[in-house]
Amino acid sequence: MRQWLLVRLGRAVVAAWGIASLVFLVSRVLPVSPEQLALIEMEDLSRQIGPATSNEVAASQQAVRQRLGLAAPLFYATRTTGPAGEWHWHGLHNQYHEWLSQVVRGNLGKSYLDGQPVTALLGQALAYSVPLAAGAASLATTLALALALYLARGSGSAGRTLVQASLATLQVVPLFLLALILLLLLANPAVINLMPLASHGPAPNLLVAAGRWAVRAALPLLSLVLAVLPALTLPLVASLRQESSTPYATTARAKGLPLGRVLRRHLLPNALLPLFTTLTDLLPTLVAGTVVVEVVFALPGSGRLLAEAAAAHDYPVVVAGVLLLAGVRLLSLIAADILYFLADPRLRPAT
Amino acid sequence: MNLVRRPRSLAVAHWLAIGWLGLVLATGLLAPWLPLPYPAATPDLLHIAAPPTPPHYFGTDALGRDVLAGLVAGARRLVVLSLPAVGLATVVGMAAGSAAGFWGNSRLRIPVALVAWLLAAGYWLAALPARTGITGCLLLIGAASSFFAWWRTRTTGPGTGPTLAVPLDSLILGTTAVLGAIPRLILLVALAAGPPLSPTQLLGLLTLVAWPETARLVRAHMLRVRVQPFIEAAQASGLPEWRVWLRHALPHACQPLYAFVPLSLAGLVGLENALAFLGIGQAPDSVSWGSLLTTIRQDPTAWWVATMPGLALLCTLLALQQVAEILKRPLILK
Amino acid sequence: MRYYWLVSFFTLLTSACSTASPEQAQVDAPIHIRWARDPVSLDPLALPNPSAIDAVSLLHLSLLPIDYQTDRYSACLAERLPEVRLVGDSITHIEYRLRPAAKWDNGQPVLATDVDFTLKLMQCPGLPNEMARAQFGFIRQVLLDPTDPRHFTLVCRGQAVEMINTSGDFPILSESALDTQRTLRALPLAFLQDWPAGKAPLPPVAALVHRYQSANIARTPGKLPGCGPYRLVEWEHNRHMLFSRKAAWWADSLRAAPFVLQAKPRYLDYLVVPDDAAAMLALRRHELDVFPNVPARVFQQLQASADARRELAFYTEPSYDVVVVGFNTARATLRNKLTRQALSRLLDPAGLLSATQLGQGSLTVGLLPPTSPFYNDSLAALTYAPAEAQALLGRAGWQRQPDGSWHQPGSPEPLALALRYRADESTFATIALQFRAAAAKLGIAVTLLPTEAGTLSMALKAGDFDVCVRTLKGSPFGLNFSIFFHSKAIGTSNFTRFGQPAADRLLEAVEVEGHDPRKRRLLCSFQALVRDEMPLVPLFFLTNRLATTKQLRHVITSGLKPGYAAQALTWARADSLAVRPTPSR
Repeated sequence: MRQWLLVRLGRAVVAAWGIASLVFLVSRVLPVSPEQLALIEMEDLSRQIGPATSNEVAASQQAVRQRLGLAAPLFYATRTTGPAGEWHWHGLHNQYHEWLSQVVRGNLGKSYLDGQPVTALLGQALAYSVPLAAGAASLATTLALALALYLARGSGSAGRTLVQASLATLQVVPLFLLALILLLLLANPAVINLMPLASHGPAPNLLVAAGRWAVRAALPLLSLVLAVLPALTLPLVASLRQESSTPYATTARAKGLPLGRVLRRHLLPNALLPLFTTLTDLLPTLVAGTVVVEVVFALPGSGRLLAEAAAAHDYPVVVAGVLLLAGVRLLSLIAADILYFLADPRLRPAT
Repeated sequence: MNLVRRPRSLAVAHWLAIGWLGLVLATGLLAPWLPLPYPAATPDLLHIAAPPTPPHYFGTDALGRDVLAGLVAGARRLVVLSLPAVGLATVVGMAAGSAAGFWGNSRLRIPVALVAWLLAAGYWLAALPARTGITGCLLLIGAASSFFAWWRTRTTGPGTGPTLAVPLDSLILGTTAVLGAIPRLILLVALAAGPPLSPTQLLGLLTLVAWPETARLVRAHMLRVRVQPFIEAAQASGLPEWRVWLRHALPHACQPLYAFVPLSLAGLVGLENALAFLGIGQAPDSVSWGSLLTTIRQDPTAWWVATMPGLALLCTLLALQQVAEILKRPLILK
Repeated sequence: MRYYWLVSFFTLLTSACSTASPEQAQVDAPIHIRWARDPVSLDPLALPNPSAIDAVSLLHLSLLPIDYQTDRYSACLAERLPEVRLVGDSITHIEYRLRPAAKWDNGQPVLATDVDFTLKLMQCPGLPNEMARAQFGFIRQVLLDPTDPRHFTLVCRGQAVEMINTSGDFPILSESALDTQRTLRALPLAFLQDWPAGKAPLPPVAALVHRYQSANIARTPGKLPGCGPYRLVEWEHNRHMLFSRKAAWWADSLRAAPFVLQAKPRYLDYLVVPDDAAAMLALRRHELDVFPNVPARVFQQLQASADARRELAFYTEPSYDVVVVGFNTARATLRNKLTRQALSRLLDPAGLLSATQLGQGSLTVGLLPPTSPFYNDSLAALTYAPAEAQALLGRAGWQRQPDGSWHQPGSPEPLALALRYRADESTFATIALQFRAAAAKLGIAVTLLPTEAGTLSMALKAGDFDVCVRTLKGSPFGLNFSIFFHSKAIGTSNFTRFGQPAADRLLEAVEVEGHDPRKRRLLCSFQALVRDEMPLVPLFFLTNRLATTKQLRHVITSGLKPGYAAQALTWARADSLAVRPTPSR
């Protein structure tokens, strides 16, 4: 068991490192370089006297490159461009090695825009997003359980058909469309506005801060829950219906137990197994969903941080964000397998 | 034994779905020749956010672009981008998944000589250091192995020389795991931190993020098909392996794809419009349903900007779901 | 029961004491101003975006800031305008004396050594000061006066007239906050400027850089306090920034404080609202008090609403930014000036002004606004004249083929152009579309290439375009056309790649000319040269629009960014609301 866990963890670490390295290298070889971007914007603002010659511009660019750590060669060995290109070995003094050694020590670098450490920026943003995603996941799970129990009781009634049809419809609606519909219906100054322009100032205590967060996060939470709900409910309903035709369920009913009790105490634990995989499969959807809802509802979370950093070519933040998400996803896969172990002894690997 | 799908009468919803998809497809294909009252993607600054009145039959958005022309442009983008992406992803996924399932980790063997020659070619093309020396050595190894194989065939009878096993299953499963580790939207957002993507590059990226699911599905089914008696019979009858894989195993392993492809297309359409909505990796003047929906935030009172593209997108996705339902119905054995 | 009278007596007493507070609270209420972006960093050396410039100008002072009342440089930390002496033919001495009253927060006076330290800080590697280094690199030495610690002379390279104003336009930082041991005093400024780029810095410089970086001044400006009137109270990123007026500021004791040393608002609250529609809504709901840089359409919408007219005051001021269409004169098709003149006749400046700016703006014939004293009004305005365009193309040697396209004799290449412009501006898109439609009527194929800002800037520098539409930023004092037309700047800011010896000489003469009538003559002949050669076509000047609530007084508007003077705004007193405010111009 321990060996299996270590193997899985090792594979996950390697995969996360591979993805982050790929994004790192791709971002550095792109033609739009951060030092040029930084200087372009400031050029518009400054009042230059006299024309800047190419030498002066090149000197400024080189200075920015050195400050941002982009002056060193990119990788351990690089090839000069052109058909007669040659490979040069650079040893340990290169950007990639620098980045890797810093990451291993826990330092994710500094943002290009304002020089703030990326860990601080990500931490602040995650303080908004993690409660959002976790809240959405738990709310969706409880709601899914309740709805599945309701739908599995019987079929054919108007209420049940309506709920099932609306869940099927919700399953195809993309999250951004759902968030936009909620924004236009419920946060529209022309119709009703449930989201007030935020009050600012530090919160006097934790309760007020939590209250403010809840008010701002209500609509995003609702859109995330609605997006994830059908994928959790419908397979559970199918599973429950399948379980209710088994002999032990018939026995329980024949013994005189009420339907609700049969469903909750006897059928649900057996039908719950596929829910674990579905939940861990939905985690990346939730994470991607937070990007969209944070952009739509303008929340200062990690999704919006990533989207804005990508738009502003702030590569350290993008690479750190990708690394974090890849790590989370891979850990969740392992967590799903552990849950399976604990739930069903038949699924444990032969050790 | 023939496997025939007996045509059953389709419900009204199914006909509506097929009709809508046909309309979208026709609009997308004929878009350059449609007589639009107002050209697409051109801002009409005298009619910014105008309600639906002639000549703008569906109104204009906050930048002055005609909504009807935008709908047509979105349909064209769907036909030109998402449809080929799904096609390519299905082909690649089919090939990769079925190969991984059929040959597993140890059943595909290639001769050492071939490996040596491929490595030599790769080394030469990559222009790595000491090019001539190492390429020469590899060529020598390749020549030696093929000579050895020919000698062995001459002395001991037919059979191949030394071979290497290709761990196809691990390779493909590993690639799908790595590609599936990050949510697709995040991967595309991260790659957008660069210059805007040309349509071909975007097509390639969408294919890249869509093929793993297809491959996993086909591989799972192939693992079951591979142990069927008819495959054994085909192998016993002396057919070469690749022919067994291509003509006998592959068509059966692709059974679940019929119902899966419309859903995969729906996912890609949603993803591509979400990217357009976030403004990522798009050429600035390309219009699609998602980019029309972005402008609603600038002027929340212009309901026509949200309802038209939103309804178009919703109907397309629902129609694709209905088509998947139709195709999911079981085959009838005759 | 017996305590009832006591309690009510105390309540009456306290309520009587607070009758003065509603008015006081009104006067002390923060003024909410809109920012479109968060000032990402408050580092006075970096200044990455306009919001950061606004914020730093409240916290720090410079020698010669801009007086928005008169749009001129005026003496702030300097006692008076500097004295200028030309030495030889390439050196200028600019002599300053600091105000005796100027003090830091800890009571220490502002001295010439602080100015010297600030200039040296701009040269330290590893700090985000590359732009400042490029801008103030012309200052080579600071000559201190041993008898007067406030008197100093800047030794500048070159003799451009504009240097005088720019030499005082940077925030002065305190030496004692960062360099208590005065380690940089021993190193001359030129020594630091000439330090090779890749070499490791000297130990005192490295130690200073380390102290600066660990102070994290970008996010905690309190570590480097300035001598400005305001103090940062609160900063919620991407939401708002609150400044409060220092209770004891040194300039309060000045008897006749100039405009730049007045700071009336008690609290200034900047709200970051990226969306224009949301900002308009916030203005209508009284969550915002000042909305600068209002887009033309929003301005029109606000003025059309009767409610808005009742509560808001509107101001317009001509700005110094001009929208131009530039040609790449290095391309073979555009090398002949007659071709460029022909293409300029395909533009309709008056129509484009009414379509894009809704009529708010001013047409121009040169790169100067019509209100400038150097405007050459003898040049005729350009109009849409396709027949003239055709004639000029014929004169340039282009021959029209039966299929409608234009060819040079002996060349199979037709006249076809690639037009680049910034993607997210609808103004440029409309101009590009109009040009394309007019050119199509004449048989010239124009491909539109909307590009994002970073890629556009690089493409312009590399010369990867035929025609481009962009905005050139100008100023009333910096008539530095050499940035756009001098041959030295080809490959950097001279995007049209226009370089002629006669024009270069004219530009160099303008740079050093201080006498206004001679300058006018030189500039008029330069404008005529540009009109003749036509490397770019100036279309119209933009306007700065401002909308404020009617309860604010002393709204000083200006054509220069940010377009208003935040330090002059005051609330109207409650009893004087009946007074009519300044009507919009």
